[in-house]
Amino acid sequence: MTGIAELKVKDKSTAIISIAGTWNIYEKHSHAEEFIEKILSKPSIQRVDLKFVDLKSWDSVLINFLVHILNSCESKNLTINVDDIPIGIRRLIELSKTSPVRSISSDGQKKSTILEFIGGIGLLFFFSLRTFLGFIGKLRMGITSFIGGKVKIRSQEFTVVLQEVGVKALPIVFLISFLVGLIIAFVSVLQLSQFGANIYVANLVGISMMREMGCIMAGIIMSGRTGAAFAATIGTMIVNDEVDALQTAGFSIINFLVLPRVIALTLMMPLLCVFSSFIGIFGGLCAAISATDLTIVRYCTQTAHAVHLNDFFVGIIKSCFFGFLIAAIGCQKGLQCKRSAEDVGLTTTTAVVTSITAIIIMDAIFAVIFSLIGI
Amino acid sequence: MVPKISVKNLNMTYDNYTIMRNISFDVQRGEIFLIIGQSGCGKSTLLKYLLGLKQAGHQKIFYDGKDINSVINVPGFYGEKIGVLYQGGALWSSMTLAENVALPLETYTPLNRKEIEEIVILKLSLVGLKGFENFYPAQISGGMQKRAGLARAIALDPEILFFDEPSAGLDSVSAKRLDDLILELKESFGITVVIVTHDLASIFAIGTRAIYLDVESKTITAMGTPHELLASSNDKNVIAFLSRGTKIA
Repeated sequence: MTGIAELKVKDKSTAIISIAGTWNIYEKHSHAEEFIEKILSKPSIQRVDLKFVDLKSWDSVLINFLVHILNSCESKNLTINVDDIPIGIRRLIELSKTSPVRSISSDGQKKSTILEFIGGIGLLFFFSLRTFLGFIGKLRMGITSFIGGKVKIRSQEFTVVLQEVGVKALPIVFLISFLVGLIIAFVSVLQLSQFGANIYVANLVGISMMREMGCIMAGIIMSGRTGAAFAATIGTMIVNDEVDALQTAGFSIINFLVLPRVIALTLMMPLLCVFSSFIGIFGGLCAAISATDLTIVRYCTQTAHAVHLNDFFVGIIKSCFFGFLIAAIGCQKGLQCKRSAEDVGLTTTTAVVTSITAIIIMDAIFAVIFSLIGI
Repeated sequence: MVPKISVKNLNMTYDNYTIMRNISFDVQRGEIFLIIGQSGCGKSTLLKYLLGLKQAGHQKIFYDGKDINSVINVPGFYGEKIGVLYQGGALWSSMTLAENVALPLETYTPLNRKEIEEIVILKLSLVGLKGFENFYPAQISGGMQKRAGLARAIALDPEILFFDEPSAGLDSVSAKRLDDLILELKESFGITVVIVTHDLASIFAIGTRAIYLDVESKTITAMGTPHELLASSNDKNVIAFLSRGTKIA
């Protein structure tokens, strides 16, 4: 131990703390608590003298040690003699004391029980849903004004968003959809070949890609890619005061930031869905002709027989809703972002998770509706 | 005379925390009004209340004698009535400087393309950015972004200009130039200016009146001209704030 402090009691009423050696954060040193405990355990002590004997060097640990001793003595109304404290140390101690104490009154900060915690989650869900529905209401008004010609969106901005969510998404949609089609086909071949029914691979791949996988895969890709980008862009704009600047320049956030993105993705998603479906079928074709004796012509003919126009439109309709949801959730989460870089990341993650969950729930609802109306 | 802006018994909160209580002051037409105080005292939050970005409640903030809640949604309040320069400029990053300045003009005025282009060049010239029209915010320095933000804020010649830390991040020459520009705008156009600032040089150079938001007592503890505050305030925090470089006993 190189930072040493020793306690001696003189005349029963005076404690003398002698401080010596090298006090730095990398080496062992005496701790204030043991001295405070010893001093307070003797009620006869009324005065504390601080003596510095052969103090070689010091840093924050000595300041911390002394502040603890001083605060404890002051709180117990003990007289403390600080005359021997080196001037540099004394200045730093005074500086730490002159820093204003900020009391922030909270209107509701207390520990919660488990029931309150569960209730809190329920309320959070309820308020989130209410906020989202409120946002959708504002968006609906924006869309109505846009359709009625009262609101114009900047063509330059809109074109850029269209390109971002459409053309630039094609490579990743191609890759994922192709592999999904390929996987469905391989799994189907393994099962159907046992019954000599390889030809039905085309049915399975075609219908699943057209009705479900095409729009769901495009939706999930767009959630991770575009929904996240919307949330991050708007979140960063909040951090940089750009959203406040828009508001104080008199622009509607919904019309300026949200509407172009929602319209662009709602328009582009059906196209991406169709692209994804056909690429998936192509992936299935590649797997089927390589793993079975099916020919390209037989596979395509069987697909054309199996897939009806209904299946095609089911995918299109769903993808329109998915596109709307992804864009709306991405923008809404972005607008909820607070003013820190960490929150932008959190917002982006939340946007992706919420979008994907919403897509799956929406798909389940559509499945029920379509089965009820017999499509 | 009806004050340009009037604040009456405003309580300010941030995330359920009360940060200031009973804030009351008037800003007169054509003055350069300063909101000063230590970091974290709520100056920028007060600015948000004044701008209507935070809900102040009824009968708390008045513009020309009218409650902010009744004027905030009136077309022309933002842009024509008030302009704002944010701390970092807050330029819209997907647009060039010219587009940033032109957007309010395109949206709110019947001016034709050529006139708008001319006004954009004029406004950018005023802030010393002529020739940078086609640059994007990411391509220029922080100080230049701030100046471009000012060009955008004055695009529609607003009646009141708000500044959030205008000289933060600027070198002393640029800060002086900005101060001169603020004075010029006030003198030439009679613009009322409200500035949130820490910058002592600016406070004493351009401030007509100032309020000091005290972080400890959570309210305004001093009001007057900057020189009055320094000379006659009894508040140790005000004196410490305004006499940086001098040791306070």
